[in-house]
Amino acid sequence: MSPTNRVTDRSIPARVAGYAAGLASVVLVSLVIGFVLGQTRIGNISMLYLIAVLVTAVLFGSGPAVVASVAAFLIFNWFFVEPLHTFTVSDPTEWIALLLFLATAVITGQLAASQIRRAEEAKQREREAVVLYDVARLVTEDDLRAALGSIADRLRNELQVSGVGIDLIEATGFGGTAISGDMRLAPGTTAVSIAPTHLLREGTAPTGAQPSGSGRWVSVVPPRSLGRARSASDRYFVVPVTSDERRVGTITLVRSPLGPQLGSPQSRLLSAVAAQLGQAVERERLRRDALEAEVLRRSDDLKTALLNAVSHDLRTPLASIVASAGSLRQDDVTWTQDDRREFVDTIEQEANRLNAIIENLLDLSRMESGILNPKKEWYDLAALVDDVLGRLRPLTKGHPVVVDIPADLPPVELDYVEIDQVLSNLIENATKYAPAGQEIRVMARRSGGELQVEVADRGPGIPQEALRRLFEPFYREDEARRKQKGSGLGLAVAKGLVEAHGGRIWAENRPGGGARFVFALPARDPLPEKPAA
Amino acid sequence: MIGGTSEGARILVADDEAAIGRAVETNLSRHGFQVRAAQTGQSALEVIVSFRPDLILLDLGLPDMDGFEIIRRIRDASSTPIIVLSVRGQERDKVQALDLGADDYLTKPFGVDELLARVRVALRHTARPAAGTAAIFRTGNLIVDLEHRRVTLGGQEVSLTPTEYELLKALIAHPDKVLTDRMLLQRVWGPEYGDEAHYLHVYVARLRKKIELDPQNPRYLRTEPGVGYRLVSADQTAPT
Repeated sequence: MSPTNRVTDRSIPARVAGYAAGLASVVLVSLVIGFVLGQTRIGNISMLYLIAVLVTAVLFGSGPAVVASVAAFLIFNWFFVEPLHTFTVSDPTEWIALLLFLATAVITGQLAASQIRRAEEAKQREREAVVLYDVARLVTEDDLRAALGSIADRLRNELQVSGVGIDLIEATGFGGTAISGDMRLAPGTTAVSIAPTHLLREGTAPTGAQPSGSGRWVSVVPPRSLGRARSASDRYFVVPVTSDERRVGTITLVRSPLGPQLGSPQSRLLSAVAAQLGQAVERERLRRDALEAEVLRRSDDLKTALLNAVSHDLRTPLASIVASAGSLRQDDVTWTQDDRREFVDTIEQEANRLNAIIENLLDLSRMESGILNPKKEWYDLAALVDDVLGRLRPLTKGHPVVVDIPADLPPVELDYVEIDQVLSNLIENATKYAPAGQEIRVMARRSGGELQVEVADRGPGIPQEALRRLFEPFYREDEARRKQKGSGLGLAVAKGLVEAHGGRIWAENRPGGGARFVFALPARDPLPEKPAA
Repeated sequence: MIGGTSEGARILVADDEAAIGRAVETNLSRHGFQVRAAQTGQSALEVIVSFRPDLILLDLGLPDMDGFEIIRRIRDASSTPIIVLSVRGQERDKVQALDLGADDYLTKPFGVDELLARVRVALRHTARPAAGTAAIFRTGNLIVDLEHRRVTLGGQEVSLTPTEYELLKALIAHPDKVLTDRMLLQRVWGPEYGDEAHYLHVYVARLRKKIELDPQNPRYLRTEPGVGYRLVSADQTAPT
């Protein structure tokens, strides 16, 4: 009798129990028949055996059902068919009845068993589908490393094994091992615990004898304990995970000694799970490749722009400093007190300008590497604006500055140093472009869920084509404007800082001339006030 | 030390950048201080023992030792004022240094005027440590009568809420010294506060509105961006 799936699903003790139960049910029915026949004679009483056969088929599968059928045939013949206590039959019609009974019993048993088997297979496939769906959902999670643990748990529950380990090599980007349950064999069997590096070697996928994607049993028991190996082998099940034809990981199962055998449905499920994992690894690899290419491209652009900036913007103040210091050194010229003062002032001013450019460059590189982390606290915006304007007073002395902030503007959450920098850059920008004497307005208002801060000037405005690119690092509208002092960094830095706050920044032309730079920060309602203790 | 008088206060300059060390040393010497320089943390600690400085200028990025560790070691042994030298963008380091017991900080690059002003303030604090004990605090037009809880600005009485008054009092206790957000929170709201800034900044802004005539040019209550606040006393109100 070739084993069916149904049988391989069960462990040996369970199988023996099935046959025993089949026989027991036949014996029970025989006793009933013997009792009934002691009272009265009933034709076709043998049909009672069919119930036993059916129950056996449904509960234990076709094998026990066949055995039960044959046993019923023999027992009925022996005990209840004349001549009693022989396997010979006197009446030929009785012979036919007996054979018909046997045929009926075997066929109904088989039909019932296969019906049950199909139902179970359908259920099994449905469960597989659910598991696969869960796994597919888990592998698309952002943190695949964390998802591995959930997948291992899910597999362990589904396959009723004592341990499931999933490991991926480091090169996948989320290398690591997730273990669910106990990966060791029973105590006394062997001390070999699962060592992922042991089972996992990077390389091409197994081929030929071990086609990729399918599982295989491996024996990890040392030869010395071969006597015990029989029970210990067959308990590790290893499924390779492959991506792009390379082996990137392993799913390892440890079956518990009394748990069900793993058959082809389980193998099919594991292969599908391994394929899902492989695809997730592949997706992640492609995503990282794309990201890396983008970062490289951007840092390349930035480097080019940086070189331009160094040559254009850093040299100008440096040239002034070197020239002024050199002048002061000259021995053959007698400088007046005012001359000397002017040189010294130039050195100081230009050095400060260099410092400002370097600070913006540093901010920009911090932004590029994504390490900006605003330390948000509640502040009164008007106070911040006052501080900035106070500090920039030397810069804004050529322009009247009007502050328009409602007195009841609620406090807002922001990183003081960073928003100070944003506002300084915008105001500095306005002083560069607006002709002297023209008003600069600083306004703030709540608008929807945002706090909007605006710096408006009456300068020449912004050409349409520049509006879009204004916030790119080192962007300046045209050559003519290069003459303007500045590094082309201020707006890019402002944009980076505002976005790190979860806000947005934009520029537009004002009706009546001039430009308006606005940044909006997400504003939530302040917490209830905390009274002083 | 050229031009130094032996009576001048002793200052240790610990900075590994020779050019800055020299510039600071020259300037301080010319203003009558006795100056010693150290390029490493180890030598700085040795000079502290042998030279017994009245003030330490400490760069946080010395090559051989963690700046915070140096502050801790100095504070274990003495209360010599420490002014930390650091660069912009290290606000968190400044705050940590101040919370560890440093008295003030200077952001590089700094001007000589700023350096001298900070040095004088720090030295004055050693001479007169607890200013908060004076019954009446006066700076410019601002008069705070601590005994009667009365605040006047240019003769006009200013009405402060209890929290605003406590805040002002905490600042007055250390004039010209930078107080970190954490110090102010703990002094005004209680020791259990420190990491949540709550409304500290908002209260400071309100207080400033009441005691400053020109908020864009605060004379008394200065913001130290990302670090804390400083109450400026009369002789330090720099003209702008």
